[in-house]
Amino acid sequence: MDKPRVAIFDFACCEGCQLQIVNLEEELLDVLSLVQPVEWREAISDQSDTYDIAIVEGSITRPGDEEKLRQIRSRAKVLVALGACATMGGVNKLKNNFTMEDVRREVYGKDGSMPHLDTAPTKALDEVVKVDLKIHGCPINNKEFAYILRCLALGKTPAIPNYPVCVECKMRGNVCRYEYNEICLGPVTRAGCDAKCPSAGFWCFGCRGYVDDPNVQAAREVMEHYGKTMEDLKGRLLLFNSKQEATENVK
Amino acid sequence: MSIKKIGPAALERWVDGLIGRQTVIGVQAKGDKFAFAPLAKTSALRLDYDVAVTAPKAFLQPPCETLLRFNPKGYESVVDEQPFVLFGVHPYDAAAILQMDVVFAEGQADIHYLKRRAQATLVVSDVQQPSANVFAGCMNTAVLEQGGDVMLTRIGDAYLVESRSDKGAALVKSLAGEPDAAPADLQLRKKTWDDNRKRLRRHELKVKPGDLPALLARSYDHPVWEEKSKRCFSCGSCNLVCPTCYCFNVRDDVRWDLQSGERVRTWDGCMLAEFALVAGGHNFRKKKPERYRHRYLRKGQYLFEQHRQIACVGCGRCIGACVTKIANPVEIYNRLAEGPR
Amino acid sequence: MSQILTAEKDIYLPEPADVVRAEPMTKMEMFFEFKLSSGRPLGHMPGQFAEVAIPGIGEAPISISSSPTYRSGFQMVVRNVGNVSAAMHRLAPGKKVGIRGPFGTQFPVDGAMKGQDLLFVCGGIGLVPVRSAIDYVLHHRKDYGRVTILFGTKSPAERLFVEEAKQWAAQPDTTFLETVDRGDEHWKGSVGVITTLMPKVKVDPARTVAVICGPPIMYKFVILELDKMGIGKDRIFVSLERHMKCGVGKCGHCQINGLYVCQDGPVFRYTDVAEVREAI
Ligand SMILES: Cc1cc2nc3c(=O)[nH]c(=O)nc-3n(C[C@H](O)[C@H](O)[C@H](O)COP(=O)(O)OP(=O)(O)OC[C@H]3O[C@@H](n4cnc5c(N)ncnc54)[C@H](O)[C@@H]3O)c2cc1C
Ligand code: SF4
Ligand code: SF4
Ligand code: SF4
Ligand code: SF4
Ligand code: SF4
Ligand code: FES
Repeated sequence: MDKPRVAIFDFACCEGCQLQIVNLEEELLDVLSLVQPVEWREAISDQSDTYDIAIVEGSITRPGDEEKLRQIRSRAKVLVALGACATMGGVNKLKNNFTMEDVRREVYGKDGSMPHLDTAPTKALDEVVKVDLKIHGCPINNKEFAYILRCLALGKTPAIPNYPVCVECKMRGNVCRYEYNEICLGPVTRAGCDAKCPSAGFWCFGCRGYVDDPNVQAAREVMEHYGKTMEDLKGRLLLFNSKQEATENVK
Repeated sequence: MSIKKIGPAALERWVDGLIGRQTVIGVQAKGDKFAFAPLAKTSALRLDYDVAVTAPKAFLQPPCETLLRFNPKGYESVVDEQPFVLFGVHPYDAAAILQMDVVFAEGQADIHYLKRRAQATLVVSDVQQPSANVFAGCMNTAVLEQGGDVMLTRIGDAYLVESRSDKGAALVKSLAGEPDAAPADLQLRKKTWDDNRKRLRRHELKVKPGDLPALLARSYDHPVWEEKSKRCFSCGSCNLVCPTCYCFNVRDDVRWDLQSGERVRTWDGCMLAEFALVAGGHNFRKKKPERYRHRYLRKGQYLFEQHRQIACVGCGRCIGACVTKIANPVEIYNRLAEGPR
Repeated sequence: MSQILTAEKDIYLPEPADVVRAEPMTKMEMFFEFKLSSGRPLGHMPGQFAEVAIPGIGEAPISISSSPTYRSGFQMVVRNVGNVSAAMHRLAPGKKVGIRGPFGTQFPVDGAMKGQDLLFVCGGIGLVPVRSAIDYVLHHRKDYGRVTILFGTKSPAERLFVEEAKQWAAQPDTTFLETVDRGDEHWKGSVGVITTLMPKVKVDPARTVAVICGPPIMYKFVILELDKMGIGKDRIFVSLERHMKCGVGKCGHCQINGLYVCQDGPVFRYTDVAEVREAI
């Protein structure tokens, strides 16, 4: 069997997810035993126009990006969104809380109105094209990336959790952040990171996005119980879950 | 077998001796809470703990364990047969382990659990500080009158050490030279037990445990399921912290050669949204109230019908673990006892 | 309990089996014949299932579709719906799989069904486990009364065992009726859901035993029709499906209230589940 040809692209992001792949270090050789990279700016330079799998990092923030993404889609059999920016807009969606005028002025000061700095509200990839698989996280968990790759090579749909971070948090025997009166987004956030943050003593800030059916309606009672306000919670949701449907439902 | 009375120095000599010979999993501080972990020295042991964050079942049915290995030649079983001591288990957690012993042994016996269990020596320790939510007193699990391998009870500065099995006898062999407990000490132990039955009641169950199965059976359509589950995150915390929950998932992990790997089992929970989902998208327990009700009925009715024991030992962990405060069995059972509204 | 702590057999360890036949039946379903590599017969009864394991992919519970009277191996039919089933569709003769089982209860071919008229009502791949009972009954034809088989699928292309069904229909005192939800230009048979077939059959309710297997929504409606025909609840057997992981009563996934489908089922006498709220 020929190795699947894989191309990696990036849009607006910090490229930290690609870095996570590079960080696989000796396992990178194993990755290369399963797939053949054909386009990857981070690591190699040859250009190619057909690929079995396109891995796309970053979110769509400029008008021209949409066309480029559509082209990638049309050349790829499978399109994988890599990391929070690609799967849900990620931190980039913060700016959708402001008008684009304000964003330009805030970021570029008085040069903000120059045409090459044109910016548009941030979109996740699936707001533009069909996405076949999402690799969540900011940054991604490279162990999960490796697992997903092996699954794809085996012809298997990877099991990406649709339960909250609390499950993994409990398996790791952590003390819940709420016991220390801290707001943790674990109960509405998709697991798969092995509860990285609570295991290190921090609350979960939701970088893997919501589970499919997050119970944001319960938020008010929880905040009241822990003596917090809805504003406290919303502040926490801004970072990764700005302008997500569920966030808008937090009332 | 006689019951020994040992002072702090003898305790330290004894446990340090055990640590030298085998793995001792003992209860220790974890920040301002407590947890079972491999014990390096007796001084780290905290028998005055209130409750362990994770139930000691985690050392018998680990959150993630390898069941099988496979390679192109086929499958082979992986069983863990390292002897170890589980030191300082509270009576309610020991009662839960005794229930798990039945679950994994009945019908088709599960050697992965049973072989590990056969290697474990259970040192049970009476509760010294009740935790914030414990209600073992209401569930008849505040005291373990029989079972376990060794029973420890603190009397003043000393401990009474009772061996309850051959494994226990082997463990306390080095204490042969220590004095036997006097009748007055046994009186004090009895008093501790009576006190604990009364003290471990941070929530007061208004129904007798024996009446729970019938109460639950007639509460299937009670509005409380719908009402409370509106706040449920389907996060499974109430399942995963529970010493009597044992449901599991199984999945295969392959290595990079795509041919060899492991079949692992992990903890699972009936409160999770996809617990009863089948391929094609049909979910047999799709709605939150259905899952929420299932947990209570399973613990108080279904498993009772199977084993004649209520599958809740009153440890109170679920009460604390539920971020949205709807997982308190006592609150729900009392509410049901008030009648249909 | 002493027997237990000394148990040596690993209930999760699959036994190797060889793929003898692997043939597409429809777009979605593939037919398999397996043989345990040890040569030992599987030792199942109609209605039981086995866990089929594919290394690296996982395990899935699959009904045994052949009758135990068929001795050269055992047969299964698998619909491609997910990881294990898709991997099974990539199997070819000569490959190996792992098998655990047989598990679960059986259609009471040697009990309540014996000597009775039989009415089999099957929807889609519900015919797969029932075929084991049909073949068993037809193999011991004299031991049973009239046999009626009703089979419904979504479309003509999804019909299973088309040639075999003709042989069933050719047996003495045996009727085979089928229907499709939607026909196509070539379909001349009945169109409509399975219950549209039921008024077409005449049964003697006092000596008829009914067996139902199909998609979850089907049971309620078929049971209503059987009730109209006067067939008692205790003369109805249903085969139910649930998510399964272990097949041996441990993992908790297959529970219907307090019942375990992998142990107490998949075949239940209807009276045993009629009051069980999650069942039907
Ligand atoms: C008693 C019984 C008999 C069955 N007989 C047949 C048969 O003869 N032919 C056939 O094609 N299908 C049958 N099924 C359904 C079959 O088990 C599922 O289609 C199969 O498990 C899907 O697995 P998958 O890995 O392909 O799908 P995935 O969606 O990848 O499923 C992952 C896992 O979830 C569990 N699971 C998912 N769906 C089901 C389900 N419907 N039932 C039980 N467990 C499930 C399994 O453990 C499975 O491995 C039967 C189910 C039961 C319970
Ligand atoms: S710390 Fe966060 S993730 Fe962990 S259990 Fe508590 S709420 Fe859930
Ligand atoms: S715990 Fe939350 S924020 Fe941290 S990695 Fe996991 S999903 Fe992201
Ligand atoms: S149900 Fe709650 S209180 Fe009862 S044993 Fe489980 S975790 Fe403890
Ligand atoms: S069914 Fe639910 S309550 Fe019962 S053991 Fe399993 S997870 Fe725990
Ligand atoms: S811990 Fe609370 S919120 Fe989480 S599943 Fe249990 S009842 Fe629901
Ligand atoms: S399939 Fe595991 S208990 Fe039935």
